[in-house]
Amino acid sequence: MIPVLRLDGVSFSYGSVPALADVSFDIAPGERVALLGRNGAGKSTVVRLIAGLQRPDEGTVWVGDWDTRDCAPEELARRVGSLFQHADQQLFASSVRDDVSFGPRALGVGEREVERRTDDALEDLDLTPHAAHHPYDLPPALRKLAALAGVLALEPALLVLDEPTIGLDRALRARVTRGLLERSAAGAALLVITHDLTFAAETLERGLVLDRGTLACDEPLAALLGDATRLEPFGLEPPPVAALSAALDLPGRPVRAAEAARELARVARGRPAP
Amino acid sequence: MRSLTLEGVSFWYPATDSPALRNVSLHVARGEIVALVGALGAGASTLLLVAADLAPRVTGGRLTGSAARHDRSGIVLPTPWTQASGMAFSVWDEVAFGPANLGWPTHEIARQVDRAIEQLELAPLASRDPVTLSGGELQRVIIAAILAMDPGLVLLDEPAAELDSDGARTLWRLIRRLAKDGKAVLLATSTLDALPEVADRVVWLEDGAIRAVGPPDLLADVAACDAGLGTSVATVWRTSGLPGPYPLTVAHALRRWR
Ligand SMILES: Nc1ncnc2c1ncn2[C@@H]1O[C@H](COP(=O)(O)OP(=O)(O)OP(=O)(O)O)[C@@H](O)[C@H]1O
Ligand SMILES: [Mg+2]
Repeated sequence: MIPVLRLDGVSFSYGSVPALADVSFDIAPGERVALLGRNGAGKSTVVRLIAGLQRPDEGTVWVGDWDTRDCAPEELARRVGSLFQHADQQLFASSVRDDVSFGPRALGVGEREVERRTDDALEDLDLTPHAAHHPYDLPPALRKLAALAGVLALEPALLVLDEPTIGLDRALRARVTRGLLERSAAGAALLVITHDLTFAAETLERGLVLDRGTLACDEPLAALLGDATRLEPFGLEPPPVAALSAALDLPGRPVRAAEAARELARVARGRPAP
Repeated sequence: MRSLTLEGVSFWYPATDSPALRNVSLHVARGEIVALVGALGAGASTLLLVAADLAPRVTGGRLTGSAARHDRSGIVLPTPWTQASGMAFSVWDEVAFGPANLGWPTHEIARQVDRAIEQLELAPLASRDPVTLSGGELQRVIIAAILAMDPGLVLLDEPAAELDSDGARTLWRLIRRLAKDGKAVLLATSTLDALPEVADRVVWLEDGAIRAVGPPDLLADVAACDAGLGTSVATVWRTSGLPGPYPLTVAHALRRWR
């Protein structure tokens, strides 16, 4: 099977500032991948390369069998939905609904299908009550969520999301997790950049770490997030649930809240009452 | 000594019928760190805008009750990238923009800017053009730019949103130090797990009104957990069905477990 995304020896510099050096990885359909790393590590640069806004200096970015060098960003949008880090500034329609439907309409999808996709995306992210609002009447966190809905409405094979949960409360974060899990179950691949390791643990399964522009780590996310000594050189620390599982030595060292709660209850039942 | 006093504040954005803040009374003392928590839209950001005298002065709308600042305030917005001056071609000059506008003598500007740059660990970026920075790099620059104006009342809306774990830890430590130096700090964050180590008081906002105020232990309450405002550890404990009171942090959980 052809990977949805393949970076093959990709290097990129902004003039004299090196951003990525010889980065290679593949993502298969349905895979859920976290891209982690320090501020300035090169994560958003990866997004810009995949979206076709930048071209690699060396190496190739493949989106399916397309070389991004040969594609305009509008063409790439047929396969990749990209949420940029400051996407809250990229809304331009006069209602959230029009903004979300803009993408699928631009792809030339039929009007009934545009409606369906728009409704689904709004519903998935609990934005239906805001559909008629002007994007700029919403707080920034909801504007970004509206931009995410627009990306979901493209129903692309690959979702590339830069910090999708900033400023969201726990209920909305869970909503994003659920929406993304559904898309992934339907075959979409996810590449998600986030500093929110709790959200990453709940949503994703494979962890890539960029360290000053090089790929330093590519392994199952749960194992990585539970291992403080592995994370430390990358300026990362285990999210609280992983730290709790490690501290209490819960069986299987779960990193997701529901699993940790289940293990905690199970172990507590087996202990003598205090 | 109070730095901010809000008495019975209600606030309506332009052309809206239901208030974004309802009868909020809150004071923040010098040396104190107060954290606002709540569901998205509960009013934390609006409260910060009122505290900064931006609402209704800049946002429009209508305020009843009274809001009094006893110190000069500085605010970091949840969209820090919209706060760059657009006039500076280096990080150093960006951070100096605010202090220069306060009309300080050159040596005082330099002293404050150098200090803020050091506090946010920005020295390696000092000569970079702000428009070329990564998201987290720029967030640190904007925080430095606000702190360089030496505000007595520091207002921060999601200040760690784009920071990596190290950067967030540095920021929370810095906030504690600011309070120790006598600044009043009022912040809004969805990063609840940071608060036990940072906040002196937590204010829980619901639908524009204050629902509860207390020490960070508030974030281990049954009601807070059920409203999605418990810390991760407290929430896991509650979900597991173990009896309360729930531990707030991993350290508390470990003590309970032994
Ligand atoms: N337009 C630009 N010109 C020059 N340098 C740039 C430009 N954009 C980014 N850089 C630099 O390239 C490096 C990688 O930036 P990138 O935005 O990819 O980081 P990031 O991993 O997304 O960081 P963050 O977590 O802070 O968002 C950083 O050192 C950054 O300062
Ligand atoms: Mg970035």
